[in-house]
Amino acid sequence: MALKVYDKLKHSIRYRLLRTLPTCQQTVETISQSMERSLSLQERIKLKLHLWICAWCQWYMEHLQIIRETARAKGDELPEYTSGGLSNEARERIRRNLTKQN
Amino acid sequence: MNASEGKFPDQSPDPGRWLDDHGDYLFKGAVFRLRDNSIAEDAVQETFLAALKAYKEFEGRASERTWLVGILKHKIVDHFRRSVREAPLGDESDEGPEHREFFERPEPWQGHWNNDYAPNEWHATPAELIERNDFWKIFNDCLSPLPERTASAFTLREVDGLKSEEICDILSIRVNNLWVMLHRARLHLRNCLELNWFRREQ
Repeated sequence: MALKVYDKLKHSIRYRLLRTLPTCQQTVETISQSMERSLSLQERIKLKLHLWICAWCQWYMEHLQIIRETARAKGDELPEYTSGGLSNEARERIRRNLTKQN
Repeated sequence: MNASEGKFPDQSPDPGRWLDDHGDYLFKGAVFRLRDNSIAEDAVQETFLAALKAYKEFEGRASERTWLVGILKHKIVDHFRRSVREAPLGDESDEGPEHREFFERPEPWQGHWNNDYAPNEWHATPAELIERNDFWKIFNDCLSPLPERTASAFTLREVDGLKSEEICDILSIRVNNLWVMLHRARLHLRNCLELNWFRREQ
């Protein structure tokens, strides 16, 4: 019985919050901005509350972080294990142009 | 990795060896940022030519490769600068797709995630992703449909970690445009990666 009341309460809080807080569409924009500037206190509170009740936007935020971290790591190291390289044709063209200049 | 380190700058420059030792490496970095083979080849060639000119200033403080990568990054920025100079920012669609359909829902939930586009959990870490060539192929394909300036803004910010002011200067845009571009690029890329990589891998 107590559990049922609690569930009902939780559901109605969630419903009310979703109706009053910024939508997901507005929230994803705020999430992106949070990676560019510091949010105001009001923005931070609204974002925290939205994330508290919305797993989708939580994942969205996590994914943007994964994308950033992965892209920066790739950019920093220019890793050796990436396949591909200069074509023979391009390599020889560059070699000729370098010899001309040197 | 770099046998020639420390020999600088007493010897005369050897661009042929630079090309052999670092050509592929620089090319891969250039392709990743420029997403075009022939522009990337030009950037590599310009890097070596600039290195020849600047050779006297290189005092072996960094490794030869680090030095060349630094020059390459400047050349890439030069390319971005040149390619936006002739194309002023016009209407909003220049900044990339808005993807309103992601948030189409019957009232009263209009503006919340549509089930077809809502994010799902990703089971991968950056350390795993970075080694997967097929992931980077898809990453590249997902960025390609974006307007050039938007894709460049994304690369400068998320790959090279440049500051907003620097990116605005390079791309001749205001900071508000930049934020819109980054948001749209992220919205688009995240969805595209989820559809074409994460759902298939899991």
